[in-house]
Amino acid sequence: MPFYGSADRTPRPRGGPLAGLRVADFCWMGVGSVATRLLADFGAEVIKIEDRVRVDMPRRLPLYKDAVRSFGQEVTDPDPNKGGLFNNYSRNKLGVTINLRTERGRRLAEQLISVSSVVTENFAPGVMEKWGFTYDRLRELVPDVIYARMSGYGHSGPHQHYRSYGPVVQAASGLSYIAGLPGREPSGWGLSYMDNMAAYYNSAAILMAVWNRRRTGQGTEIDVAAVEIGVGLIGPVLLDVTVNGHTTRRPDYPTGNRLEHPHAAPHGVYPCAGDDRWVAIAVFDDEEWAGLTKALDNPDWAADERFSHQEGRYAHQDVLDGHIAAWTGGRDPHSVMTLLQSHGVRCGAVQDPRDLNEVDPQLAHRGTFFEMDHPVIGPARFEGFPARMSGRGPDHWRSAPLVGEDNDHVFGQILGMEEAELSELREQGVI
Amino acid sequence: MAVEADGRPGPPLGQGLRVVEVAVDPAGEMAGKVLGQYGAAVVKVEPPGGSPTRRVGPFAGGREDPDTSLNFWYYNTGKRSTVLDLPRERPALDRLLGEADVLITSLPRSGQRRLGLDPAAISGQFPQLVVCALTPFGQDGPWSEYENSDLVALAAGGLLNSCGYDDHSIPPIRPAENQAYHVAASFAHISIFLALIEREQTGRGQVIDLAVHDSVAMSPELANPYWFYPKAIVKRQTCRHAQPTPTQPAIFPTLDGRYVYFTLILADIKPWESLVEWMDSLGFAADLTDPAYRELSHRQANFPHIQQMIEAFFLIQDADTIYHDGQGRGLPIAVINSPDDVLADEHLRARRFFETVEHPDGTVAEYPGPPIRFSSSPSVPPAAAPRLGSSPAGDLW
Repeated sequence: MPFYGSADRTPRPRGGPLAGLRVADFCWMGVGSVATRLLADFGAEVIKIEDRVRVDMPRRLPLYKDAVRSFGQEVTDPDPNKGGLFNNYSRNKLGVTINLRTERGRRLAEQLISVSSVVTENFAPGVMEKWGFTYDRLRELVPDVIYARMSGYGHSGPHQHYRSYGPVVQAASGLSYIAGLPGREPSGWGLSYMDNMAAYYNSAAILMAVWNRRRTGQGTEIDVAAVEIGVGLIGPVLLDVTVNGHTTRRPDYPTGNRLEHPHAAPHGVYPCAGDDRWVAIAVFDDEEWAGLTKALDNPDWAADERFSHQEGRYAHQDVLDGHIAAWTGGRDPHSVMTLLQSHGVRCGAVQDPRDLNEVDPQLAHRGTFFEMDHPVIGPARFEGFPARMSGRGPDHWRSAPLVGEDNDHVFGQILGMEEAELSELREQGVI
Repeated sequence: MAVEADGRPGPPLGQGLRVVEVAVDPAGEMAGKVLGQYGAAVVKVEPPGGSPTRRVGPFAGGREDPDTSLNFWYYNTGKRSTVLDLPRERPALDRLLGEADVLITSLPRSGQRRLGLDPAAISGQFPQLVVCALTPFGQDGPWSEYENSDLVALAAGGLLNSCGYDDHSIPPIRPAENQAYHVAASFAHISIFLALIEREQTGRGQVIDLAVHDSVAMSPELANPYWFYPKAIVKRQTCRHAQPTPTQPAIFPTLDGRYVYFTLILADIKPWESLVEWMDSLGFAADLTDPAYRELSHRQANFPHIQQMIEAFFLIQDADTIYHDGQGRGLPIAVINSPDDVLADEHLRARRFFETVEHPDGTVAEYPGPPIRFSSSPSVPPAAAPRLGSSPAGDLW
């Protein structure tokens, strides 16, 4: 397991392709924080601006090393430096506190914006405007500024003020509806998929703008609405509606783990030995079917005439799935995966987070997860980046900032404030 | 602020970028499509007979043909198509790559070998090129020869473990329509622009070894931190977050046979007040107006009762009414829209998100537009996916 960072938490010059890019980061919660995490990983100096009184929600959510709590079981008066989710979302960032409800705080934020070239935010539309941070004002401060605005519904349109988080976006954009067994309620998503996807799209949007500015000198305001990203992820079924006029509001839709197109079979998730353990198997053609039957040692049932061609297997999936499940039932999901893959069959253990971290030899080989130390939490594990870059890769230098950890560095060293002014700001509750 | 989908001056942001795509699955195809949405020229290199993705339904009008696959249409808007028999016609590919900025391959390792497309070798040959090699599991390592599908990728990457029903005799259920590939495509988008930014500084391209598996494995959201910190394994629940211990249902049937998603954040008083006011306005608050409920402990103790009241309250109203009235009261609530419903959404209409595309056969249909809006640059409305080999070699950019 790679281990990064050092005991010295003093900010240092960064490596990576984004070194030298300073970001005034007003983001909070999930989407914005994950979007700017990518920038920080690759060397940008991301200065996360927090409110000391109303700390970022991931600082309060109950992800602690020492106790298992579901959401909704938050502790009262939590230690804001102990929250694991905040550490996860804000690694490699600098952290400052500014009380934006004060005039002096807003002026301080403007000073920070003035020495940055990217400004990021994911508040409800109107919040940044209320503080005076319009694109026009930002351009007065930084003529080629990139102003990235990430929201659920975007900065125009009748629903722009609707409140959203991952599950709301998934529901509204059609992504929850399309998952489930026919004839019953949708199974949807067991995660905020759209928090991740909106974050990834927002990271990409900022990188595109940075690349464009390097070539043209031109800045931009960026408006990304998570619901629009979500609709763009619905997939080909959307064209079945708009081109063919078919409806998805019908009792045989959606189709669970089976595919409507192409006619793969078997195509499902099958039980394995152990408590709630499963394996996914997908067979798309005769060659893969031959591999499967060979792997299973050519059982008698596989010679059934109905299974001799792909359409027959597709038409008789119920019977076929029964045979497959009977075979997988006593086996370990990883041994099924290894056996079938070695016979050219697409197969994957349904891995849980422990499998990803402790069993999966491929993620270990690629060093996808890594660890960094944290002064309150101790050593903590993180997800890395899914690509290995032959150029400059990520530069992991420090776990997430403590509340206001970098106030002196940012306001003193970067903005050049004297200690007297800093202590005045502290006393007035501005920082 | 007024950021509109069209009418902005200047060239599209990605104009001038030249992208070559060799892809047999939606991961690479989606990555190429996204670059095209912002103005890049994307040439799709297909084998004789066409990309295997042309043989995947549904088909326009139910007519099976390489030029009628809606799967292909969806993932290949805005591209040009040329047919090359690789590795035999490698010189033609090399001519393209010599003029290109980005090569996207989306092939298993066996496919890379069969077509002679080794990412490192190509990078050595064309040092200016950003080579984004999408593979199921990465370029090397113990699983690197394994192949995937969307379902298999979701399973192995850990995301599927969080999705399904409360009833665990039902297996985990796949979130539909190629989402593992979509996650990987978004990382292709990110890593290509990281590499292009670096190229602006160094003049050199690079190899991006991007695994679908790793893309999914870093995206199960809370499942990973729940393992990193309390070493807890989240358990799937019906259409709501997988959690270490069961939580209350979050989807509710409505009068018109649809569903709404709503989770009451019990600890906060403000949403509680909004909810009770809303229920009271329809004469449905009953005992919930009792001041005792202002205490968190009382709400916690009576949560099953509260949930029953909410369930009944939603069952007497239409889903759209609940969505808009609830949001009007500041509650984060949503109707579970079908794709049909999404197309009628007044908000998306007002933002002119959908674009009308004319197909080569003269028919028209609506497609989702580009989701990133830059005030500085116009976006590119989707153009129909190309007919097989419709762009002659030699005239591709």
